[in-house]
Amino acid sequence: MPKADNLQGALELLVMKILRRGSQHGFAISALIRQSSDEILRVEAGSLYPALHRMTEAGLLKAEWRMSDAGRRARFYELTAKGRRTLEAEEKKWHAVSAAVAKVLRTT
Amino acid sequence: MGTWSRIRRTFRAGSHHAEIDEELRFHLEMDAADHGARDARLRLGNVARIAEDTRAAGIVEWIESSLRDALYGLRQLRKTPALTVAVIASLAIGIGANSAIFTLIDAAILKPLPVNDPDSLVIVEWTNDGFPPGATNINGDFREIAGGRLQGSSVNANLHRRLAREQHAFAAIAGVADPVNVAIAVGGAQAEQVSAQYVSANFFQGVGAAPIVGRPFDADEDRVGHEPVAIVSHRLWVTRFGSDRSVLDRAVRINNVPVRIVGVAPPGFFGLMAGQWTDVYAPLAARVAFSPPSSTGARSEDDSDWWVRQIARLDPGMTEEASRIALDGLFRGMVVPDGAAIEPSHIPILTTHSGRRGFAALNPRDASALWILLLLVGVLLLIVCANVANLLLSRSVSRQRESAVRLALGASRARLFRQYLIESGLLALAGGAAGVAVGFEFAREIHLLFQTGRDASNAFDLNVDWRTLTYAFALAIGTAVLFGLAPAVRAARSDFGDVLKAQTRSVIGGRLRLPRMLVAIQLALCLAALVAAGLLGRSLANLKWTDIGFDRENLAYASVNPSRAGYSRERIGPFGDRVRGELSRLPGVARVSAVSFRFLAGMGNNGLMNFAGRPLDQGNRANMNSVGEGFFETVGIPLVAGRTIDARDIRQESGAVVVDEMFAKRFFPNESPLGRRFGLGFQNNSQYEIVGVVGNSRYNTLREEMYPTMYEAFRPSGTIHFAIRTTMDPARLREAVRRTIASVDAAVPVTEFHTQSALIDRHLRTERLLGILSGAFGVLALALAAIGLAGLLAYAVARRTNEIGIRMAVGADRADVIRMVLRESLGLCGVGLLLGIPCAYAVARFLRTALFQLEPLDPRTAVFALATLLTVALAAAWIPARRAASIDPIAALRDE
Repeated sequence: MPKADNLQGALELLVMKILRRGSQHGFAISALIRQSSDEILRVEAGSLYPALHRMTEAGLLKAEWRMSDAGRRARFYELTAKGRRTLEAEEKKWHAVSAAVAKVLRTT
Repeated sequence: MGTWSRIRRTFRAGSHHAEIDEELRFHLEMDAADHGARDARLRLGNVARIAEDTRAAGIVEWIESSLRDALYGLRQLRKTPALTVAVIASLAIGIGANSAIFTLIDAAILKPLPVNDPDSLVIVEWTNDGFPPGATNINGDFREIAGGRLQGSSVNANLHRRLAREQHAFAAIAGVADPVNVAIAVGGAQAEQVSAQYVSANFFQGVGAAPIVGRPFDADEDRVGHEPVAIVSHRLWVTRFGSDRSVLDRAVRINNVPVRIVGVAPPGFFGLMAGQWTDVYAPLAARVAFSPPSSTGARSEDDSDWWVRQIARLDPGMTEEASRIALDGLFRGMVVPDGAAIEPSHIPILTTHSGRRGFAALNPRDASALWILLLLVGVLLLIVCANVANLLLSRSVSRQRESAVRLALGASRARLFRQYLIESGLLALAGGAAGVAVGFEFAREIHLLFQTGRDASNAFDLNVDWRTLTYAFALAIGTAVLFGLAPAVRAARSDFGDVLKAQTRSVIGGRLRLPRMLVAIQLALCLAALVAAGLLGRSLANLKWTDIGFDRENLAYASVNPSRAGYSRERIGPFGDRVRGELSRLPGVARVSAVSFRFLAGMGNNGLMNFAGRPLDQGNRANMNSVGEGFFETVGIPLVAGRTIDARDIRQESGAVVVDEMFAKRFFPNESPLGRRFGLGFQNNSQYEIVGVVGNSRYNTLREEMYPTMYEAFRPSGTIHFAIRTTMDPARLREAVRRTIASVDAAVPVTEFHTQSALIDRHLRTERLLGILSGAFGVLALALAAIGLAGLLAYAVARRTNEIGIRMAVGADRADVIRMVLRESLGLCGVGLLLGIPCAYAVARFLRTALFQLEPLDPRTAVFALATLLTVALAAAWIPARRAASIDPIAALRDE
């Protein structure tokens, strides 16, 4: 099973895409990535949390403590304006690159 | 996240950690709710590691861990206070000496002028074959350059004005004369002497120093006959005018002429030459108004007198070369009188060079002396580094256990390496900070030494500014890397196994290869420092005790300038005679005479001698001086033949002159010079008649060969120097002399009072600076090397206690043990000498220009340096050797 964090920049992109729909806590993010990829992509906690903190430091996300649905305190992440812009740019780049890679794979 | 919250979080590290833990716990619980606790924990992996990785994700962690390392480092340093103090003190000395010399070099040589855009300033000078057409007197920088051409820096005032007005090559050309002393009286207060410069009307605009009060000069104010105006320095404004803005209305007299002040120069603006503070600026034309009244009444500028230096500001977009060529064309047209046919090679050619730092403050010899000092303090700092590295190395040995344990517990080697470097950095920063403080004091002391015998107008602008701070900071970082690297590498390489092994004492101590190498390097550098000190000290002694031809002890000069108090030429002579009479009645004074140029005071006059019946020869030059009655008796120059200058010669304006033996031998080799006549320059060949011959003397240089000298009768028109022969320390007569002269006329202040030995010291200021400081640095270097050597040997002996015990048990006696340690010391010395001889030779070669009657490979200096080093090495080894010899074999072995 491929891991999302093996691909350079992919994990960040997935996290931003998930958060585009609204703020989530870390566990929900990993669960949503798993579900939306039909259980193909799996994110290790050991990669996810450092990535979340790195992105927060970089100003792509902001974090705050709120009550989760389960009634426990959880740290929720939300996309910042800068995060939104970065997501758009990165998404375009990703499509371009993956199309190019697919093309290479087809022709050779 | 902003920088602020980042920093805030760094200091709230505790709660940040707790948050991460809580977040991970939440993840675990959510997962456990879905898949069961055991599964979840397996999937999550090592919680502590994830938490650590998460924390490390940001810069926060890096700063935080560095801070933690720094705090840890501080604690470690506090544990060994003696060592910490020793390290910081040696660094303070090393960095302090370096930043002091740098401060001086920066102020004297490197710092740009404190004006707007100094980079676009260009100094305009000229070169020519011989004197330029029409010039008879040339002030400013004036010297012979390669190819026998003359290089001059000044032009006459009208030439400058015309050139500045008609040129379009530069944005502006400003003119400025070399500083002169004037007497300034503010309100009713007594006149005092300050340094003044005559400048062109556009000077302040041209060089980019806008007055902060009032205005710059008007073009019309630079006109002979205009009411005299002046701009005062900010310094004078603060000290004499109490920073009062109404300064523009104050009644001020300069050389007894009423002057209107029109402006105050900006703070920190000292003029255009570092080390020379100008307090009064006046237009070029005011030179006529401030000159003493002459009996002829003619008051105009003399175009044969070239005295105005020029500095130009480049037009943006023009190159220096293109501007110079454009100006040169205009200049060459102006300098030739109309209709005159002059050989092209005799028309001066303009040259330019950067004016960023203003006019050179130091001659090349003085400047090279400062660079030599920088080299010497650099050597000193390297010795300090080696010493500190050894101290820290000895500490890192004792901390090996700590390093090994930290490594075993999972600390990375990089982290350990960083920990040690951070500790070195802390030490270096503390040493650097102490060094800046020490260095500034030290710079002031050196500055005093450098300026011995000079007045308040001669001072470099010494400051602890960002330039010095940056330099000291860079030095501190550099030294931290130099001395911190070895211990840090050692710590990062430590191995738990090794440490365990080290716990069992080996019979033979380790080889201590690195510490030995460091001590050998110290000894090598120390040899270089000693050779430098020896060469410079001997060179100073050679200069100082060179034969000067007269008695330098108990001789002083007091100087006055009655013309600045309004004395006419006719009244100056009688005034001088009265002062001379009063001075010779002072207790402690044996004889008094007068002279126009004091010996070895840095001023002199040199002329072309014209002998009847011989062709004019440019080589027939002699020094010229004018002396009063009884001068030779006063200074102690023996009369060889004929008579000396007497009162009659002075009164009658006879052509009687006295020449020295060199003059006689050179120009009248096979005949008696007495009664022979000669003249000066082109026109005259019988103006003078030789009436006497006296002994040779040093006129104004100790370095060069003695030069023929002639003495004519002194008929003062400006400054009078009274030569005073005393029967006691002349420095103690200063106050009595001042009072005596004031009793004749209180309006005539004593402008200078110097003993002859002070003048010689002033003349030798560079050599003295080098001699004294290199000696001090040599002693410091020697002390540091001795401490390093003794420390290393003591440590080696301590490690070899067992071995020595065994040796003694099997029959070695005390002498054997002492010999063993001394031999080791000499062995280190041998390696040090092998490394040091090439270093010493390189340093000596670098000093060559500063040496007088001495070769870089002076054998006596070499022997002195080697002997000193060996003696100190043996002395430093003596204490550890004694300790080794007093080891009790029984106790040493029982200790096992």
